[in-house]
Amino acid sequence: MQTETFSYDDAITRKFAWATVIWALVGTGAGLFIALQLAFPALNFDLPFLTFGRLRPLHTNAAIFAFAGNAIFAGVYYSSQRLLKARMFSDKLSSIHMWGWQLIIVAAAVTLPLGITQSKEYAELEWPIDLAVAIIWLVFAVNFFGTIAKRRERHMYVAIWFYIATIVAITILYVLNNLALPVFASKSYSVYAGVQDAFMQWWYGHNAVAFFLTTPFLGMMYYFLPKAAERPVFSYRLSILHFWSLVFIYIWAGPHHLHYTALPEWASTLGMVFSLMLWMPSWGGMINGLLTLRGAWDRVAKDPVLKFFTVGVTFYGMSTFEGPMLSIKSVNSLSHYTDWTIAHVHAGALGWNGFLAFGMVYWLAPRIFQTKKLWSNKLAEAHFWIGTIGILFYIVAIYTAGVTQGLMWRAFDDTGRLAYPDFVETVLRLMPMYYVRAVGGAMYVVGVAMCLVNFVMTWRSRPAEYAEVRDSAPALAPSYEGKPIPPPAGGWVNPIGVFYYFIRADWHRIWERAPVKFTVWTTASVLVASLFEIIPTFMIESNVPTIASVKPYSPLELYGRDIYVSEGCYNCHSQMVRPIRMETERYGEYSKPGEFVYDRPFQWGSRRIGPDLHRVGGKYPHLWHVRHMENPRSTTPRSIMPTYAWMLENDIQWDTIQPRIDAMAMLGVPYGPALAGGEMMARTQADEIADEILTQGGPDLHGKDIIALVAYLQRLGTDIQKAAQDDRPVASN
Amino acid sequence: MRLSELMSNMDLAFYPQVALVIFLLIFAVVCVRVFSRKRSKEYERASRLPLED
Repeated sequence: MQTETFSYDDAITRKFAWATVIWALVGTGAGLFIALQLAFPALNFDLPFLTFGRLRPLHTNAAIFAFAGNAIFAGVYYSSQRLLKARMFSDKLSSIHMWGWQLIIVAAAVTLPLGITQSKEYAELEWPIDLAVAIIWLVFAVNFFGTIAKRRERHMYVAIWFYIATIVAITILYVLNNLALPVFASKSYSVYAGVQDAFMQWWYGHNAVAFFLTTPFLGMMYYFLPKAAERPVFSYRLSILHFWSLVFIYIWAGPHHLHYTALPEWASTLGMVFSLMLWMPSWGGMINGLLTLRGAWDRVAKDPVLKFFTVGVTFYGMSTFEGPMLSIKSVNSLSHYTDWTIAHVHAGALGWNGFLAFGMVYWLAPRIFQTKKLWSNKLAEAHFWIGTIGILFYIVAIYTAGVTQGLMWRAFDDTGRLAYPDFVETVLRLMPMYYVRAVGGAMYVVGVAMCLVNFVMTWRSRPAEYAEVRDSAPALAPSYEGKPIPPPAGGWVNPIGVFYYFIRADWHRIWERAPVKFTVWTTASVLVASLFEIIPTFMIESNVPTIASVKPYSPLELYGRDIYVSEGCYNCHSQMVRPIRMETERYGEYSKPGEFVYDRPFQWGSRRIGPDLHRVGGKYPHLWHVRHMENPRSTTPRSIMPTYAWMLENDIQWDTIQPRIDAMAMLGVPYGPALAGGEMMARTQADEIADEILTQGGPDLHGKDIIALVAYLQRLGTDIQKAAQDDRPVASN
Repeated sequence: MRLSELMSNMDLAFYPQVALVIFLLIFAVVCVRVFSRKRSKEYERASRLPLED
């Protein structure tokens, strides 16, 4: 076979690596800022676009899609070319992918602070940006599979499998979770409502962790760790097992985010069982990574790259132990809605994703900039230590905060009453932990800044012109002449023979050389698992029993709800009273699935920095809400909520109400009279509320945003208390 | 009759449990296959792929 010489495109890796280190600083910096906002609420500066509710999605999106995303692409572009012995399929597509992705990030950074959001966690971006993401992802997929098609190495190394699973699964997840009906360029309503929306969201949210923060990083681990250690992975077998366990099992685990909610019992139990099963293969992967360093531990002491990888992989092990543990319902009843979740996520993100990415950047920098060595190993060492200690400060403080608050919520006194009935009391107890968290976070950010400096300085000592990186390999034969596979002994009718045929599984060996078959089967298993879980939730009526007295939101309430969504209230307030005594004592009647059938999107939330709001309707007079939004400290001393004084000044955009109603009606919400006179109905209801605020001694707020918000808050969770035949002036028939 | 009524009567809640078992079995088969001895040489070569350039 004739040997072909070819070159690798390292320019694209350089660009993605630049983006990685820059966005790392932005993403973690934003995180530090919002951590400080919780410790010092004055840092919300009373400005709409700087409030915690709007900035927290910016932080999560920047960390996941900008920092981790660009790290993934840098790693994939560098390793795939070398593993497949081929230059990327198209330099132009690489370039479109790179610049398109950065534009999307900038679009996210502009729209999220403006309150343009779908309010589904890690899927906040509105529909025009979603479309752009889909297109750019497709560009990446074409480029990647095109490279596989023209590869010169027949066997696809396991890292490539992980990349394939990433591309396939993220496509399915992202598209299905983001299906929405646009109202305006900046607003859409989810095609799913209530329980189903929650189910889709956490199927997505969980698997985004699996297929964006786990599989691609594992692929990178299986390439860059052997590279840096200069020895092959400890067990290739284990890595294959690791792969299939993620594909077969991980995809099922999503419902563990919704324990004790209005989700059907069987779905959450299923999620728990699969989550527990994940523990062992994940640890197999961790051990595989660590044992790759066998005989090279002396080098770990000297090489910052190996240090980052070692600690990163250890954090992977820690997170994949903790995840299954948190999915156990009884543990979850304590941890859910507390900072425990936040600590878990940050152990994973800062330790596993962050450190693996930094290790990779330090390994890549001298190679892509062709400088032979990193500018300063000492600085990288310093980054390692300040980063590691920073993570420890962060997670120890926040674990403590989570457990503390969880225990306070469930504490009863001797007379059987809540020991801490005042919610804010359980928040203020956390303040010392929040200060420590900010210190730990700051240390981590300083480390990231060191990485950027090291990266820039290494880049500065690059050659005047980059040498072309060339390699040679024989071309792939057009067809593969393997040993013929014997059919099952005794023919296809003999079950024992067929069983052994599948166990011997020569057919699988063919897949590993056949990317199309491989991809199809990976896709199929991801899809089948998802459908088995999703279809029953959507299709069985008994799963979401209808409640006759639950009616659609009035036009004004819908507008108010959209304000609630846009301000990101769900970042701190849940709308889900769990069927547990401590919850019903504190908040009232537990939430029923049928109560959410008009909620697009659902607003259950995942963390209670403030109290649950599902039963807030009718709890306080209108004026209380007005005062509270104007300055939360006037009604709840020492509250850490930002002020929303602008809601008392901004005018309701009356002309946008009818399109909202029409879009909801198109999604099947049974609006009657509101279809013709949504705006009139809204004005009437708004005047009533504004008049009542006046009589309660409040300011004249006719036509202001706050009125719509109050209308929504007062409606929240009240429907089930009303008789089914009640003729309230709701906007439906 | 609406589709959701039809589906409701099909007792679908049983399906995920069946699927769970099927997925588990496939996974078990993959495990057995991966650890079969005859593939050692192939794995040996595959695991060296990252170190080749």
